[in-house]
Amino acid sequence: MARLFRFLEKKRGRRRTGSNLAGSVGEAVFCGTLFLLGVLALTALVAAQVVRYDAQSLAIGVGWWLVFLVLSSFVVIGGVGLIRTALRVSASAERRGAMARQASELDIVREATPRPKNYPTVPSYDGLTNSPGIELAYRLPPSSTPGWRLLATTLFTLAWNGVACVLAVWTVQGHLAGQPDWFLTAFLVPFLAFGVWSVRYLLLQIWLHNGMGLTTVEISDCPLVPGRNYQVAIAQHGHITVKSLELWLVCEEEATYRQGTDIRTEVRRVYEERLWSHRDFRIEPSEPFQATAPMPIPATAMHSFHSAHNSVNWKLVVRGEVANWPAFERGFSIVVYPGEATLRVEVSANVARSALRPQLSVTSTPTGASA
Amino acid sequence: MSDRPSDSVDPLLSICLAGAKQSFSAGDELVCEYQIDAIDPADIQAVEVSVVWYTEGKGEEDMGVHYFERRLPSDAEDGDLRPMRRLRTRLPNSPLSYAGAILTIRWCIRLRVFMRRRGDSVMEYPFTLGAVPLRVPAVA
Repeated sequence: MARLFRFLEKKRGRRRTGSNLAGSVGEAVFCGTLFLLGVLALTALVAAQVVRYDAQSLAIGVGWWLVFLVLSSFVVIGGVGLIRTALRVSASAERRGAMARQASELDIVREATPRPKNYPTVPSYDGLTNSPGIELAYRLPPSSTPGWRLLATTLFTLAWNGVACVLAVWTVQGHLAGQPDWFLTAFLVPFLAFGVWSVRYLLLQIWLHNGMGLTTVEISDCPLVPGRNYQVAIAQHGHITVKSLELWLVCEEEATYRQGTDIRTEVRRVYEERLWSHRDFRIEPSEPFQATAPMPIPATAMHSFHSAHNSVNWKLVVRGEVANWPAFERGFSIVVYPGEATLRVEVSANVARSALRPQLSVTSTPTGASA
Repeated sequence: MSDRPSDSVDPLLSICLAGAKQSFSAGDELVCEYQIDAIDPADIQAVEVSVVWYTEGKGEEDMGVHYFERRLPSDAEDGDLRPMRRLRTRLPNSPLSYAGAILTIRWCIRLRVFMRRRGDSVMEYPFTLGAVPLRVPAVA
């Protein structure tokens, strides 16, 4: 019986214990049922209103619109799921990829934006060139905006401590009334402790955000091409005594994968080079620190790459150690295009790259995508 | 002697790159020929040939299609999709073949034959695009 019907399936990468066809049929049945249920119920709901018009039930805040929205979502989710399943079963991965490429080529906005042609998977650099610099051509936007992190921390701290206050009042009232709830009291202690830690963390974030001062990075050209030399300018604002300030050119690989029901991202730094560093100096609010450094991009560097689950990201990283402050690191993304040395294949490179080539593979799948 | 029925034997797929070249520069023209054998022509439902890149490594696999051609028996003379056919395409400037720490990018020509009642059979012929070094520079 267990061989005929498995309650639990296992998946390792592309391999799975269950049948792909059975999975697709199950998905199609689920989506089809949802779609059919939604269409029938929605038709009945609207028809009832057409046959016997009731203005009162259509008023905002009454359940009719909520039911309408829920049933509409059934139709949309079921319909989209059905189309996706049908496409997956009826077309090979290459055919779906070709259809997706044709659809992306119809992007009118992309066509209207001038950029080097025939560089698929190299990310767009539109967001890097829309802010002119003071010293050099372009001012780079920071990779991550501290404002969002600060907002999320603030909301979490407010919510956590709000609940903590309600529980604290409840517990104290019980004690004053002579009916103490010791379980709640014991639970409240770590709850309050975490609340205090979250307030401390929030204050530290506000302190870092407002007191450290702005870091700006500018570059002389964009996009960057390996084998060429560029200039980079850094400016650090604030009222701080700096122990060390460094500027690094960094390349990272980023991979997103599923582990169970979680989606995880792993980042691996594969290249870093210190472009510039300076030690023991003071920055005044009236006079921000400024410096310029050469930025050579390695001739054989891999270009920036971006696909759905994998990417190669280049960025400039500013690392600082400041007296009486925690160390900080701020990143600024850049886009590197393929360079001459990597676009052209030399004869000797054929031998060097032979290890990269896997063996020829022929596979046969009895229940693959149908024609 | 095999006791498998003769119609369950996989077809013979072959891909041959012009000039036996296996490394290409960006913008090069890729020319190859492919052929299908050891199968009844009436048993072939469709043939797809594509030039694709795909990723390997820690992350989920991504794939991009540079060239795609799908042929049905009605597209061929006498409805026979087996004879040798030439594929010709100019390769793009990216993504270049790459072997990193947790990410590898590979290019290949993929020939897929759909058979009536027997699923499909796939052959891949790998090649490299560009010359990004095998070993990335070490982190300082």
